[in-house]
Amino acid sequence: MIKIIDNTLSAFDSCLPSKEELLTFCQLLFTIGVDMIELSIAAFEKMQQLPDRGKFVLRIEDISQMEDYPDFFRYVCHRQEIADKEIAVKVITEVRINDIREINKLRALDSCKELRIVGLDDIICEDFDVVVKDIFKTLPNCKLNLCPENSLHCASAIAVQWILNGEKEITSSFAGCKGNAATEEVLMALRLSMRHKPTRDLTVLPEITALYEKITGSSVSNKKPILGKNIFKVEAGVHADGLIKNPATYEAFSPCLVGRKSEIIIGKHSGLKAVKLKIEEKGILLPKDSIIEKILCEIRKFCTEKRNSLNDSEFIELVNEVIAYEGKQIYS
Amino acid sequence: MKENKYIVDTTLRDGEQSPGIALSIEDKVFIAKMLDEIGVYEIEAGVPTISGNESEAIEEIVKNCNNSKISVWSRMNMEDVKKSITCGMDIIHIGVPVSYVQIYTKLKKNKVWVQRKIMECIDVAKSHNIDVTVGLEDASRADIGFLLCLIRELKNSGVNTIRIADTVGVLTPNRTKEMVETIKSHSDIQIEIHVHNDLGMAVANSIIGAKAGADFIDCTLFGIGERTGNCNFNFAMNKKQIRKIEELSYPMLQGAL
Repeated sequence: MIKIIDNTLSAFDSCLPSKEELLTFCQLLFTIGVDMIELSIAAFEKMQQLPDRGKFVLRIEDISQMEDYPDFFRYVCHRQEIADKEIAVKVITEVRINDIREINKLRALDSCKELRIVGLDDIICEDFDVVVKDIFKTLPNCKLNLCPENSLHCASAIAVQWILNGEKEITSSFAGCKGNAATEEVLMALRLSMRHKPTRDLTVLPEITALYEKITGSSVSNKKPILGKNIFKVEAGVHADGLIKNPATYEAFSPCLVGRKSEIIIGKHSGLKAVKLKIEEKGILLPKDSIIEKILCEIRKFCTEKRNSLNDSEFIELVNEVIAYEGKQIYS
Repeated sequence: MKENKYIVDTTLRDGEQSPGIALSIEDKVFIAKMLDEIGVYEIEAGVPTISGNESEAIEEIVKNCNNSKISVWSRMNMEDVKKSITCGMDIIHIGVPVSYVQIYTKLKKNKVWVQRKIMECIDVAKSHNIDVTVGLEDASRADIGFLLCLIRELKNSGVNTIRIADTVGVLTPNRTKEMVETIKSHSDIQIEIHVHNDLGMAVANSIIGAKAGADFIDCTLFGIGERTGNCNFNFAMNKKQIRKIEELSYPMLQGAL
């Protein structure tokens, strides 16, 4: 069974939100399909107690801290010798591998029950399947979890490929905020490529994005895969035409699936069909095609001067001006 | 032996299709000249059929660029091809929808029609001595048997490069590898990889595609492009010169970010 650990809540120590916001964030992470949530001690202390629902992992500096925080499903800790077998089964040992040439160092960790490999950013530049086989040959007795880092902008691809290769566990963070794979990208990619649907609900993504932005005080990029505000906006004539005929022509997944909807934007690259649709959408009586072509010409001029697409009020104003001008020409 | 890979920059075509920007003739020439100066192999300069201004911009780019090959994008439409080839560019890139959803729902035609139509368009361009590359639109959702059959026909008609377009951005690294390798094992045609970032994998898939045998990699400045954008030129290459171009073109492209 595929397991996704989300470690976003170990990244909020410098901007810890209220207890309620932390609880809501946890609830939303489980709703989108995360299997376990990793917390820092500071985040847990702010929450005061663990929610009833879901499995939690605590990030600790030293094994001795396990006693102080006993109720967690797992503990993540950097490499430490653990003699007690009962304790060992609850610990995910974390090791950093910056470069695939360091893989042979893993041999010393085969006694760990569970091991999280952090890094491996450059695996995409090598033969992925061969490297993964090497890792498993080196660690035949370990349960492995991969937390690829994003220095080469390939972390989500690595995490997804790890699972597609038959492995079971990865660690990611919301919007990739910890410099690793982005949880929502991994979830969507697994949904599309292997029908992994953990019967959860992705329509809460706008809500969790808003909460994330509030907590961190940062904005998610407008073009961010899955989350960005502009990713379902379409301007190019050929794409808008396709979307009007059948949204599946230019959508990998329905925007509704992630709580959003597509929007046709009018700009320099718009075509006649999109302009007609927008005119009707704005409740303006559809003029004849020759006038729409003139409207389109004016749109292209206006947008190039403005270096931007049109907003709705600019569009309505421009359409009305062209229609009025053309009307005058006819009657004068 | 070290293989050469070539960058096709499509900032001025796919990148400009992002809502939020509209480049003037001067903007397009300014960006093209910078890309030309750093030796980008090919600059996809735009879509001439959009407007007279766009054609003029492409003509100016052709005049002002000395190193890069200049290409334009055209729909698989005879009139569009005829209009496009008047711009004086080196390459015309004709997009052919190849997935069933594109053929049967968007075009409302069938595979035979598509094959006939693209061959007609290629003939027109070739008769004007223009180099033709063909973009297999939505190739990542297409039937591989149909793709291989079409590629054979394209090669026979003198097309040396096809573009695998992951139009909706659904490729994963191993599927990219498998697709490029399958095409390579059936044809000696050159492959250009054009991927979108819908699942955050554009850079990874471009690298994997190039490793698997693609000769050309499509990129854009800031990774702009339809929806979530394309392969980010700077992320893929990590070069100081690209960061400098991004810095200088930021005022023109910021609306797409």
